[in-house]
Amino acid sequence: MTMLRVRDVGVKFGGLTALHSVSLDLNRGEILGLIGPNGAGKTTLFNCISGLVQPTSGSIFFEGRSLRFVPPHERARRGIARTFQNLQLWESMTVLENLELPMDAVGKRNTFSDALGLPMSHYAERSARERARAILHVLDLDGFGSRLAGDLPAGIQRRVELGRALAMRPKLVLLDEPAAGLDASETEKLAGLLRKVRDRFHVSMLLVDHDMSLVMKVCDYIYVLDFGQVLARGRAAEVRADRKVIAAYLGEATPELAESTEEEPSVTNSSPESLPAPRTEPGEVLLEVTGLAAGYGHLEVIRDVNLTVRAGEVVACIGANGAGKTTTLRAISGVIHARSGRVTFGGRNITGASPERIARVGLAHIPEGRGLFPNMSVEDTLRLASDTTGHRVPLTAAYDTFPRLRQRRHQAVGTLSGGEQQMVAMARAVLAKPRLLMIDEMSQGLAPTIVRQLFRMIDVFRGQGIAVLLVEQFVESALQVADRAYIFEHGTIAHEAPAEELRRDRAVISGAYLGTAAPVESTAIEVAANGSGNGHKKHPELMEILSMRVPPEVKRALEERAEKEGRPVGALALELLEEVKR
Amino acid sequence: MPGHAFRFLIAIVAFAVLARLPVGLDAAFQFDAALALIWGFGILSLVLLTGYAGQVSLCQATFAGVGAYGAGMVVASLHGGYLLGIVVGVLFATVLGVLVGLPALRLHGITLAIVTLGIALVFDKYVFQDHLFDWFTGGTGGWQVTTASILGIPVDSSKHLLAAYDVLLALFCACAVLMVNLHQSGAGRRLRAIRDSEVAASTMGVNLTRYKLLAFALSAGMAGLGGSFYPLVTGSVSPQPFWVFTSLQLAAIGVLMGIRYVPAAALGGLFMAVVPDVLTRYGHGTFMGRAYDISYDWFQLGVGVLLVLQLILLPDGVWGDLRARTAPLSALFRARRLKEVKPA
Repeated sequence: MTMLRVRDVGVKFGGLTALHSVSLDLNRGEILGLIGPNGAGKTTLFNCISGLVQPTSGSIFFEGRSLRFVPPHERARRGIARTFQNLQLWESMTVLENLELPMDAVGKRNTFSDALGLPMSHYAERSARERARAILHVLDLDGFGSRLAGDLPAGIQRRVELGRALAMRPKLVLLDEPAAGLDASETEKLAGLLRKVRDRFHVSMLLVDHDMSLVMKVCDYIYVLDFGQVLARGRAAEVRADRKVIAAYLGEATPELAESTEEEPSVTNSSPESLPAPRTEPGEVLLEVTGLAAGYGHLEVIRDVNLTVRAGEVVACIGANGAGKTTTLRAISGVIHARSGRVTFGGRNITGASPERIARVGLAHIPEGRGLFPNMSVEDTLRLASDTTGHRVPLTAAYDTFPRLRQRRHQAVGTLSGGEQQMVAMARAVLAKPRLLMIDEMSQGLAPTIVRQLFRMIDVFRGQGIAVLLVEQFVESALQVADRAYIFEHGTIAHEAPAEELRRDRAVISGAYLGTAAPVESTAIEVAANGSGNGHKKHPELMEILSMRVPPEVKRALEERAEKEGRPVGALALELLEEVKR
Repeated sequence: MPGHAFRFLIAIVAFAVLARLPVGLDAAFQFDAALALIWGFGILSLVLLTGYAGQVSLCQATFAGVGAYGAGMVVASLHGGYLLGIVVGVLFATVLGVLVGLPALRLHGITLAIVTLGIALVFDKYVFQDHLFDWFTGGTGGWQVTTASILGIPVDSSKHLLAAYDVLLALFCACAVLMVNLHQSGAGRRLRAIRDSEVAASTMGVNLTRYKLLAFALSAGMAGLGGSFYPLVTGSVSPQPFWVFTSLQLAAIGVLMGIRYVPAAALGGLFMAVVPDVLTRYGHGTFMGRAYDISYDWFQLGVGVLLVLQLILLPDGVWGDLRARTAPLSALFRARRLKEVKPA
């Protein structure tokens, strides 16, 4: 039976068409996936269903009744619950309170009986608390009931949001990127949890996520959105095989990413293989960091970090989540204070200098999340570069590098897609003519096609003589563009090598990610990797691990087991992967 | 969290203790005590509106003023009983609260602050001081409430100041208990949900229109309740106590004391009524051969300085941080209670 029927829904924000004409059907008890590149309109469709945005055209029916002019809270009462991409918990309330609130949307109680503490309020209160505890138990959140929601880590907050959505006894739960910020093992757990939730609470779900593995695993049926339209729909296997989907969402897909190194040199004239090993003459030392330590509060995140960046060089920092890459960049650019150590830039000691002074000497930092102002237009944002340089800078250079921004120059930055926003951030940074550009998680949350474009830009920057220090999740792409790489482990640099070497000898990285980068292990992994051809092509799961989604506990467990069995960690990991596949 | 019965007990004890406090003091201090409660109501109304529901208002004194004029009009012009005056005053204030709440359905933060400030200004200049509203304000002289009666018993502000204080105190304690109950209950949670995230609140079934208007209505009513006692306590009504600056002062002292906490309202009211009076009465004389004069202006300055210090040192307000700092002590107290709540 069709529970939710979306018919030809279109949404326009001013001149911007967010949704063209989307139709979608969701059956009772189904988990429906909604995927698509950034800016495809997924969240807008969610907002239409939950009532935060009124569609400009089309109609939505829930259980046969039209939702037109039905306010959000009324939709909630009819049984539509949702979670939010940017967490919207009530942060000053405890987890239990967060769950209790949606429960009494129905019930014979009001403000006056509550204030007077009448018996019916008491009764409702007690039963709400019991139910909230039950839900927390199912979601494996038992110990968190009396903690303030705002104090919890993001991963837990996501689960609390799911709990809150379930608390109001919904018939349909809209999940907006529930796996954002989770690592591989947590995502795995979430997949199991979602299915468990569906069966226990008898809910249907509509799921938006970037993590394809989650969507493919959990969803019964998948819709693919692109440019505000339904591009394709079908079961996981069908969607995965659909050429249009591959082209739009996955970009020209992984195979080509690997091939591009061999086939594309003439096009970009900057692919790794097209230029002999040291692409630029190693210039003088531009940035030199010695013995750097920094942290937050009583927590020391990085210690004894030593790194150098020469003029015109592209250097990548890679390593698992929480290894200290972002903190290192922040300590260098003065956003946080270095606790010890020394940072020199172009021969000047900039340790402890204020961020704006450091920016003025030519060290630009694009922080994680891009640090843009959503209500400012593209042009105004770029003009800000004039503040750093001290004189008016012409914007044509930026528009020539990023032609897409010229079209959108008068649009507010907040309304751009994620990729375009990253372009704005990069353009702004480059306009100030920095000698070194530090980019933190450039590709976070972006579709692969956009990511590839952005990486190409880094090559362009190098051509302009700007050195780049990258912190990157996409190890493969980062290594293709970089000259050298530092591998971070547990708050310090464990390994340093030319990017080319790391590309060829993947063993070093996998060693760094899966255990200690010891040569014995690396050969073992190399053998394993070579045995199955290009590890990158054939082992997407391994690449997942390599691109850092291994939490420390898993790593430790792997290490322990490897030690017990007297085998290299990498080899063991590959074997386990094979097992999982089977 | 103490249970309902415990809260009730605390309120009764507080009433018993506080009711004895001004007995035996001179009339001026008794007057201050009553005034403290009137401003206490003003801050309590802000605790509900700002502390719970997250809506900014800079016109709480206006609500109190409407309450005062409503009561004054009924008693002095219509010769009604004082009880009726209170009812009318609260009613007027509540209606105004709903009207002010309407723009709040769309506005947030600083814009809402400006709009409410505008309302305070308009009432100050064009209602309380304007001839057009003489029927309501009693003209420039205001209402003289020299002879009033509650349920047929004649009362006189000069003779029955302590009695008025006791009634006010009882009402204040009752309102305080209701407010604490509300905080822990479903309705209070919905208000706090609006404060933390309106989007999430609306998609989780909270009717924003209803709860925002409710918050404004209750808050204005509460401020009006305090205000409606003003003619009884002082014997007259005039625009001056309810001007814009009082609204700002209520907000400032509310934040200073801890806008999220009910006891902060009592502290704030006391501070607002007693400190300026003490300053004007004892703030001048000679010290070590030099004459000094600390006037009322110093109070304003003091509030400003304290507010800055508080934002740095006690970000959650005097009461809020006091509570947090004594938390280890009260945790000892609560350890047993928590154990029994834990599920098997």
